[in-house]
Formats: sequence, C-alpha cells, structure tokens
Amino acid sequence: MRIEVRVFSGLEKFLPNKSFGEPLPVELPEGGTIRDLLLKIGIPKDHVFTILVDGKHRSFDYTVRDGERISLFPPVGGG
Amino acid sequence: MAKFLRVDMSAKQAKFEEVSDKYLTLGGRALTSQLVADEVPAVCDPLGPFNKLVIAPGLLSGTNAPSSGRLSVGGKSPLTGGIKEANAGGITSQKLANLDIKAVIIEGKPADKGFFLLKITPDGVEMLSADDLAGKGTYEVTAICRERYGDKVAVITIGPAGEMLMPSAGVSNNDSDGNSSRYAGRGGLGAVMGSKGLKAIVVDCPKTFDAPVKDPERFKAAAKKFAKILLDHPVCGQGLPSYGTNVLMNIINEAGTLPTRNFKFGRFDKAGEVSGEKLAEVATARGGKATHACHPGCVMRCSNVYPMPDGKVCAPIEYETAWCFGPNLEISDLDVVAKLNYICNDVGLDTIEAGCTLGVLMEAGVIPFGDGQAAIAALEEVAKGTPLGRIIGSGATNAGKVYGVTRVPAVKGQGIPAYDPRSCKGNGVTYATTPMGADHTAGYAVTANILKVGGFVDPTNKDGQVELSRNLQVATAAIDATGLCLFVAFAVLDNPEGLPTIVEMLNAQYGTELTVDDVAALGQNILKVERRFNLDAGFTKADDRLPEFFSTEELPPHNTKFDISDNDLDEVFNF
Repeated sequence: MRIEVRVFSGLEKFLPNKSFGEPLPVELPEGGTIRDLLLKIGIPKDHVFTILVDGKHRSFDYTVRDGERISLFPPVGGG
Repeated sequence: MAKFLRVDMSAKQAKFEEVSDKYLTLGGRALTSQLVADEVPAVCDPLGPFNKLVIAPGLLSGTNAPSSGRLSVGGKSPLTGGIKEANAGGITSQKLANLDIKAVIIEGKPADKGFFLLKITPDGVEMLSADDLAGKGTYEVTAICRERYGDKVAVITIGPAGEMLMPSAGVSNNDSDGNSSRYAGRGGLGAVMGSKGLKAIVVDCPKTFDAPVKDPERFKAAAKKFAKILLDHPVCGQGLPSYGTNVLMNIINEAGTLPTRNFKFGRFDKAGEVSGEKLAEVATARGGKATHACHPGCVMRCSNVYPMPDGKVCAPIEYETAWCFGPNLEISDLDVVAKLNYICNDVGLDTIEAGCTLGVLMEAGVIPFGDGQAAIAALEEVAKGTPLGRIIGSGATNAGKVYGVTRVPAVKGQGIPAYDPRSCKGNGVTYATTPMGADHTAGYAVTANILKVGGFVDPTNKDGQVELSRNLQVATAAIDATGLCLFVAFAVLDNPEGLPTIVEMLNAQYGTELTVDDVAALGQNILKVERRFNLDAGFTKADDRLPEFFSTEELPPHNTKFDISDNDLDEVFNF
C-alpha cells in the first residue's frame, strides 16, 4: 500500500532533500504500523511526539491504511 | 512600600497612594479585574469619564523568576461591553514592578481636546503635553520617546486608531530593541486610553530584576528550579525557542482545524508558506532572528525578528497574526502578512480583530479573498480615518452589521482566533464562555486537544471539553495574576512540580503561606469577579454562545459541527 508522509518542525532533517511539509510517498506492506513506517524512512521514534493520520491523533501502534495522509511532529506549542 | 499611581486625566494630576490590604496580594489580571470591578460602574460608557484604564505588572514581575515580565491592562471594553484584561509582553511590567508600582490607574476625562504624556521615573511623575506626538504611529512615538528620555525607557502608547477611539484599538509597549509591537491588543483598551487623552506613558527605571522580595535566598532557589522545569519541557525548552509560536501553523493545519477563508474550511493548502518553519528560513536568510525574547529574563524566547522587503522589521510575527492575515484571508505570502502586521502595530490595532474584520469584508465581497494588496490598501485606510478605515477599526461584529454578513466569527463582539471551534471543541467552549469575549488564551484547550500537553481530549468529540475548558480558565486566570507568561503552562500542566514551585516563589516574595489550593481559589475568584461585572453590565447566558453558523455548517476535513449543548456551556462556571 502507498501512503503519503509529511514531516515538520525540524523532523525534515532526517529526510535528505525533503523540506518541511513536502509530501513523501511511501510504500508499506499491508498491516504496517507507524512504528514500521518510522523505521523505513529513518526517523528515530523518540523524536516524534505527535502523529496525525488524516488529521486524527494516532499512536505508534496504529495500523496504517492505503492512501492515508500521515503528518509527524516533534513537541510543538505556542498560542 | 508598594503603591498605586492614580492619574486623574480630568484634573491632569497624578498621585501615589498606599495600597490597602485588600489588594496587597493581588497582581496582574487579579488586580486589574478587581480594581475595575470595584471602581468602574459596569453600565458606564467605556469611552466616558467613569471607565478606568488599569495597568498592572504581575505578582512575580520584576524579579528573576523566569519569563515573568507580563503586563496586564484592564478596563471596560468598548468592543465587548464587558470587563477586559489584555496581557502583553515587553519591558514595561518589570520596570513598573521595580518602581514598586502595583498599578497605574488612569481615570477621568479631559474636558478639552489634546493629548498628554505621563512620565514615570524613580524621582516621580510628570504630565507633559503630547500634542506633538498626536497622530503619529506607535513606532515613531516610541522612537521619539527613546530619543528624548533614553533608549532604555519603556513606552506604552497608542496609535491613531486609539486616538480615533476605534473599538479594536490596542495598547502597545516595546521590547528591548524599541519595537512597539508588544500589545495588550484585545478588546479596544487603546480606545479607552485615547478617550482619556493619554497618548503615551514613559516608564524609566534602571532596574529590571530587583523588585522587593521578602526572602531572597528562598526565592532564588525556587526561581532556579522553575527555570529548569521550563527548560526541561520539550515545548518550552525546545519547541518555542526554535520556531516561535508560529510553529503551530502546520500542526493546526494538519489537524484540520485551521480556520481558512473566514472559517469555511479547516485546512489551507498553502499554510506552509506562512508557517513558523518558513518564517525561520526567511528571517534567518535576511539577517533577522528566528528566536528572540520579548522581555529580559525570558527563557522561552518565542519571539522573532522578520526583516521586510521595504527595509523595516516586523518583530514578531505571532501564530495568531500569521493565521488571521494568512489562511483566514487565503493569503500565502509571508511578506504580505508581515506588512499587515506592521500596519496594525503602527496604527495601533489588535491584529486578530483586524484579521477577522478583513475576513468579514472579504465574505461581503468588499475585497476579494486572497488579494494581499487589496488587504493592505484597506488596512491603510485606518490611519486616515476614512469610513472604510473606521469600519475596519470597529471590529468584525460591527463590520458584519454594516455589510450584512451573518458568518461573523465573534463572541461578545470579539473576533474568534486561530483554532476552529468545530474541530478544536475545547477552545470552542472557552470562546463561548470566557468573560473576555472570544479569546484563545483564556482557556487554551489546544494543549490537550491538539498538542497532547496536559493529557489528551479528542478535539472533534464533545466529551470532556467543558471540564477541560473550565480547568484551564481557572488556571489561566491565576497565571495571568502572577505575570508569568502563559506559555509556562505547557510545563506546569505536565510537571507536578510546576505549580508548587510557582507557589514557593510567591511565598518567598511576599512572605505568604499560600498553598496550591489557594492558587486555584485565586483563579476561580478572578473569574467570579469578572463574571459578576459582565452580569451587572447586562450580559446573559445568550452571550455565552458561539455564532449560529458553527452549529449549522460542517467544517471539512472532519465535517464537524459545534455540538456542545447550551446546558453544558452553562456548566463551565459551576464553582
């Protein structure tokens, strides 16, 4: 299955030649989780604080589905 | 000895007075709201002689408590008709605290026209004519005052919008670099200052961290511990110092709750172009700064310095401002956002209200969505005082009435900020119920709704939002009394040592024996005082509601409506 990943707020340093927010298409086997995704794209788990899948908060154990938009963030805040 | 400075603008006289016991342990918002409740008739005209402008440093301001330099400005709001506390960074709070001034109370109204400047120094107070400053923008006024009185002075001032008594005029003060960009922006207190004939207050004090402390050793230990608590927290210690508040743009967009095209959509496909990451890139490339402190002693340094193409500098561009002039108007050019921000700072308008109002004008078809140059041209009308400029300065609700727009994002007459209440429902509860009118800071549920700070409450589900908003509103009121920046809440919500350490600092400074429970009681009491004022001013339950369209129009991408019942909203203040 194919998913679309976006990383922000400094996580882009782990993805060569990608800037923040730039969609990264990733092929992942059926049943793959966010944890599997991070291993595949080489982002250390302890740098990821918020995982949004189609805009909903999910955990590292979430099983990804085809076509989902996955956004990864370190700890951020403001207001 | 702590003192009040009472300034009678009818007689053009200022005098110091002793602080009675009732007010000794109050500061910041607790003090401004209590003084307004005690001294201002709730039914008075906000621009008349009976309203007062109260300016107060927080309880911990002027000490070496980290990030404690927030200033509270209070009065009856000409925008909402209710009580108002607007909270600003900048360098004034620390200076007032170091002069041992607990509050400046500005009252009365001059019978004649003309503007005045109040100069406060360690030697006393002077009232000077400011007719030569009248009509000038805040940047120029601040520069002139720094030239005349020294480049270390703090300058509180209003722009032409405040002089023209526009309901969304703010009160500015400056950062250490002289930028008049630290605003007590919301609710039109700039018009209250203008109505008093007061153009500027110059505060000269050579000290920054030497406000009186009863037990300095104990205080020092607690302040050091609190700094560590802030720096150890990932948001306060790393997130905010890296990209500033505008780091929120992308996460709020990805979460689908970024109000776009006047609250029509929850995502903007060009949000990244006006985000904190982009801002840091551009600012750094142009020789600006991605991180900057709004006052000495702040460890979070969430501000920034953005050089504009015309050679001027906008410092800072905050998230809510980037949102209101960016996605809210479908504008994706950061230079346009910076220009709109700068114009507001200079003319003296609240950015959030101005952005919401431009959104209403775009909804009405007066100017097209996405047209940055048209937005700039419209905002430039404010300084000229043209009919369009005055409509813009009158805020979103008034502009909606003038142009027949019903999709007006506002509560109690004040524009709704940068988180759509349909997919960030905790903030929706806060917007509806806070005594301030729609205000994201009054109970910032974005923490648990989106940022996963202080737990997690699903932002698209109505469950748990009333309790979340209630607890945050109480905690926020208390923090606003301390002079601590609200952003300490990120750490305090996650670290059980946070609140006890704040209490320890307060006890060490004032010789009190407060407990953590007393802090909650303080927060509750502030809200009760403010609610009572609003009730007496004529507010009812009907004022604690969101505009109709939030419960009838679905917000994509989650296709949510605001569905928290009226009964549940009425339970927020059940204490």
